[in-house]
Amino acid sequence: MNGTRVRTRRRLVAAAAVLALGILSACGGGNDAGGESGSADKADLTWQFWVGGTEDQAAWQKVADQAHTDHAGITVKLQGTDWNSYWSKIGTLLASGKAPCIIGMQSLRTASYAGAMLPLDDLMSKYGLKAEDFDKPIMDGLKVDGKQIAIPYDSGPMVIFYNRDAFKAAGVADPKPGWTMDEFKAAAKKLTAAGKTGLVTTPGDLGVTSWVRTLTGAEPLADGKLNLTDPKFVEGFQGWADFVRTDKIAPQVPSGATDFETTQFTSGKAAMQLNGPWSLIDTKGKVKFKLGVAPIPAGPDGSKTYTAGSGFGIARSCKTPDAAFQAIMSMTSEKPLTTLAAAGRAYPARTAAHPAWFTAAGIDGAKETLDYASENSIPLVTSKNWVKVSDLLTRFGTQALNGEVPPDQALKTIQDQAGAGS
Amino acid sequence: MGTATVAPPEHVPPGSAPAGRRPALRRDGRYAGIFLAPSLVGLALFTLFPTAMALGISLFDWPVFGERKFLGWDNYSHLLSDPVFRRVVLNTALFVLLYVPLNVVISLGLAVWLGPAIKGRQAFRVLFFIPVMTPMVANVMVWRLLFQPGGLLDSGMQTWFGIDAPNFLGSSNWAMPAIVAMSVWQGFGYNFLVFSAALDQVPQSQLESAQIDGAGPLQRFRYVTWPMITPSLFFATTMTLITSFQVFAQPFILTQGGPGVSTQTIVMYVYNQGWQFLTMGLASAAGWVLFVIIMGITAIQFFGQKRWVHYDV
Repeated sequence: MNGTRVRTRRRLVAAAAVLALGILSACGGGNDAGGESGSADKADLTWQFWVGGTEDQAAWQKVADQAHTDHAGITVKLQGTDWNSYWSKIGTLLASGKAPCIIGMQSLRTASYAGAMLPLDDLMSKYGLKAEDFDKPIMDGLKVDGKQIAIPYDSGPMVIFYNRDAFKAAGVADPKPGWTMDEFKAAAKKLTAAGKTGLVTTPGDLGVTSWVRTLTGAEPLADGKLNLTDPKFVEGFQGWADFVRTDKIAPQVPSGATDFETTQFTSGKAAMQLNGPWSLIDTKGKVKFKLGVAPIPAGPDGSKTYTAGSGFGIARSCKTPDAAFQAIMSMTSEKPLTTLAAAGRAYPARTAAHPAWFTAAGIDGAKETLDYASENSIPLVTSKNWVKVSDLLTRFGTQALNGEVPPDQALKTIQDQAGAGS
Repeated sequence: MGTATVAPPEHVPPGSAPAGRRPALRRDGRYAGIFLAPSLVGLALFTLFPTAMALGISLFDWPVFGERKFLGWDNYSHLLSDPVFRRVVLNTALFVLLYVPLNVVISLGLAVWLGPAIKGRQAFRVLFFIPVMTPMVANVMVWRLLFQPGGLLDSGMQTWFGIDAPNFLGSSNWAMPAIVAMSVWQGFGYNFLVFSAALDQVPQSQLESAQIDGAGPLQRFRYVTWPMITPSLFFATTMTLITSFQVFAQPFILTQGGPGVSTQTIVMYVYNQGWQFLTMGLASAAGWVLFVIIMGITAIQFFGQKRWVHYDV
């Protein structure tokens, strides 16, 4: 009897141990990409990036393969995630120290994640990457505290997309670089008729801040601190909200419909929207009308807009930063960027790849407009808490646009809720 | 282990009951332990440990990356003094107050209406259950097309009455009712099935004898049917209450909690703080606030059930 009990207990303990081991190994079986090892010329790297589907994944894997073409010992494997879950995913990966070596980074979010990313300035001089080969606003947009956090592949200033057919039908002349806010409003008023509107605008961070900048020249940060209650910013924000509230040249907006602006424009219900060149070729493929592109209308101090874009950086936990940097150099070199441009993807950050993109776009006046807008744009520099600011702007900006809350009060709420957030 | 049973008496020699019973009890307990181990280990690892861990994290300023700092109860006092979080709790309560009664009344009403005598009853059951089975994202997409400016409701009202419909998803007054309407449509099918099954269990003979005794349809429902379906009603209200406190997908996809914070719920707040703003401490504290609220209300329900739930009819 005693012997049986001992045997049973032993069996029990053994069973429990096997179970526990099984569970522990299952828990530990996660991504161990941080353990990538190798040397400067030989490494198997993983690259975390946002992709929109299998076709997108294949196109970006080709970009990754450029690293292997240039450096026989280096391979880059793409791990794709959709845009919406990308940021929480890399947040946890970076926090756990298991992030892949190469990380996709968007300029507006760089400040939030810079603490876990490797500054690239030393590697740039070591391997001779020239900053001047890239668009300056986006190189600056991917810097935090003066340090380069990522190397850009795309960029672009916010510009007006417009429906050429609607303009023609309403007898409104095509906008030219330098057109003024008064000309813009007159055109939008003429185009607002029969259930259609001249403009559609939603409270996205890049769009709102671009409108405010051209209206009054105000910027959302002062000395790195959020400064939304500055009178100039309030005035500009009020001017933007008035497009819907008093000018009635744009429709009221629903909350949470991130695609509302794009669908109103592409379906022909609104004749203009503010958008980035990264969407231009995709939009052209969707619309049934002739698409035009114009700079943001000039306020009292001229046409002023913001640039945003994205690039690739290296996680601090990466054990082979030299190999990762060489891979990034290949991935942002002229050849893959030209291939991407010719395929009608993002507006390349390398000036040498621009001609291929304009050929692919095939839109009259696109080059003139984008060159003009680039000259008049600066990067939108953000604070560490920008993700929160952007979320609050979407929430309370909707109320300001729809006339539920006075614009200055909306800004005060955003400023209070976000805190200074340097 | 509480399920251990006493061994059948025939295995116990006469006169030695106390001594013989103990090993049998122990053996049963041991086997019960073996069978329960996988689920207990699972419960401990994936439920109890994270819950305790969340309580620990909630006492810290815990950014996803960067330095962690012990704060004590500061996260909780921040939540209680934050007008946004108070509004978020109110929103959640408003959703529960609107959604739970509507859901139960509609699902019970339809289940009673589609009583045993109705033709095509199975077809209706399937029809009402379809929204439960379709993915929430797809449901919400369709409802957004109904609700948004220039959408089906708006253009319908313009065509028929010549007036604009309210901006359902852009107005702070309309957004929550819009979410409740969508949620009720999406969710009532489940309780409908539960109630239909319960109604089928009510013995026809008792209903008939009540009828012979002169009870009208309302009396029969009140005094025969109702007591018999109270266990199902208790189950349905408890589960619906718990899940509606945890509402996330509908406001997240339909309005993203806006305009302002007028449709933001507690779980959305937890998600935003944790996974968007990467402040795990505050997210865990808000999670615990929700946990305590749900525990409290469920406890009240369990104590209250003695008054109105009949298990022995």
